[in-house]
Amino acid sequence: MSGVLARRDRALTPEETEELLRDRLGDGVRNSLQEFGIFTVWIAQDSWSEAARRCRDEPLLAYDMFDHLTAVDAREHGFDVLVVLYSTSTGNRIVLRTRCEGGREAPTCPSITETYRGANWMEREAYDMFGIDFPGHPSLEPRLLTVENFEGYPLRKDFHLTSRAAKPWPGVAEPKELDEEGNVIEKEARIGDAPGPYELDKAMAEQAKLANPLPEPETVEGEIAEELAEDAQVAPDSGEVLAGTGEQAAETLEKQATEQAAADADAETQGSAQAARAKAEQRRQEQVAARARKAAERADPGSGGAAADGIDQETFDRLIAEGKSERIARSKAKAAYIKRQRAEQRAAEGEDDGGEQDA
Amino acid sequence: MGLMDQVELPQPVKYVFNWGRKYSLWCFNFGLACCAIEFIAASTSRHDFIRHGVIPFAHGPRQADLLVVSGTLTDKMAPAVKRLYEEMPEPKYVISFGSCANCGGPYWDSYSVTKGVDQIIPVDVYVPGCPPRPEALLDGIIALQDRIQHESLKDRIAGRRLDPVTLGADAPLALEGR
Repeated sequence: MSGVLARRDRALTPEETEELLRDRLGDGVRNSLQEFGIFTVWIAQDSWSEAARRCRDEPLLAYDMFDHLTAVDAREHGFDVLVVLYSTSTGNRIVLRTRCEGGREAPTCPSITETYRGANWMEREAYDMFGIDFPGHPSLEPRLLTVENFEGYPLRKDFHLTSRAAKPWPGVAEPKELDEEGNVIEKEARIGDAPGPYELDKAMAEQAKLANPLPEPETVEGEIAEELAEDAQVAPDSGEVLAGTGEQAAETLEKQATEQAAADADAETQGSAQAARAKAEQRRQEQVAARARKAAERADPGSGGAAADGIDQETFDRLIAEGKSERIARSKAKAAYIKRQRAEQRAAEGEDDGGEQDA
Repeated sequence: MGLMDQVELPQPVKYVFNWGRKYSLWCFNFGLACCAIEFIAASTSRHDFIRHGVIPFAHGPRQADLLVVSGTLTDKMAPAVKRLYEEMPEPKYVISFGSCANCGGPYWDSYSVTKGVDQIIPVDVYVPGCPPRPEALLDGIIALQDRIQHESLKDRIAGRRLDPVTLGADAPLALEGR
């Protein structure tokens, strides 16, 4: 490049650029348009190399940086080749665009590798992908991006993907999804619907579900909660109201359990691990024994205490003995009690289909 | 290999021998796409597969025991993978890491992507995912080590390979009847 570089403050406007190019190339400039802040000049095929050279060498234009070259499938009109140039001195960017000769069968476009050496591989890429021949290019073969024996030009609109011939593309356009009959599926994605495969993901999804009240619980605890809800409806018939002593007892037991946990934690943080652990273990056993005793006491005084309390005493005792927490044992025992009660009701009421659904 | 390919080693010797082999897997990473990043994550301190005896970044295929193909394999790249695999000395193992390496993944209908690395080289363990997490690679490595521990080197050298393991699809190792 010769002469003084253009200066940023004297950069030509797109109109001036077009005028200058028209002056130099005559009819070579077909058209120009500005869209989305991009200035495009359509160049006649014959003037293509000349236009690139002028853009680089005119001191007022000084498009010294080759940005990229690519092609566009213009369907029945054939193919367009366009090149994007940038001027480091003026900061201008220009797109030169030309329509290839030869239609769809044998598109050709003069090479601009003489002017911009960086266009070499870009033209090879256009050759690979669109099958455009660039006379004047040093060597379009061997093929740059596709394998040697590749058939067809993959970026042409009429290129067929062989895999899709065997199996149609299974996707649907978003955001409208269609079912088998072609109706638009209306569905609202909810938080926690699609947990990941890992435990942590599932735990996080569970938390998200809890925070979001809409989804229905599907866990075992959820079932227990449902059973308890039904229990609340049944309770008034069964004599003692659930809101009375039952809940109070549950509250004290819960408090007791948390105190125990805190004590355990204290014991474990006190260093001297073994002694603390042994102590904690002992305390735990004591607690279990105490719990069992209390449960027995509670069960004894009222006649039919278990029935009044609405829990299945056998299950409760068993779970407590297994070292389960008071709350879990209680809720499970309650569920067992309700199941048993229902089975009894059914046995009493329905003779024909009584044994259909037993626990 | 001399004796190894003709004689089945006695069980105690075989055990020790395989034990040694499975904890010194020099790994040759063929990173081709985003899965390679997960591979790198698995090799660094957080997941650290070196503690499983997998030594990343072997100097070259001739010093490697394990080839991890992580990423999208294109038809253009396939000959290179095949050649590097053939440069590796026997016994050699291949982990196909990620959906693209397994079957083409999201590029199943592409004009340029090889639909699975198993079309050109035999694979021992498939790790599914897009991309799989580093933990999945650790799982795959452990599955491979389990296989090495129980295999007969004589069979391996003779080219008799066990069927590949697909993580998640095959039964867990503990349930595999042996």
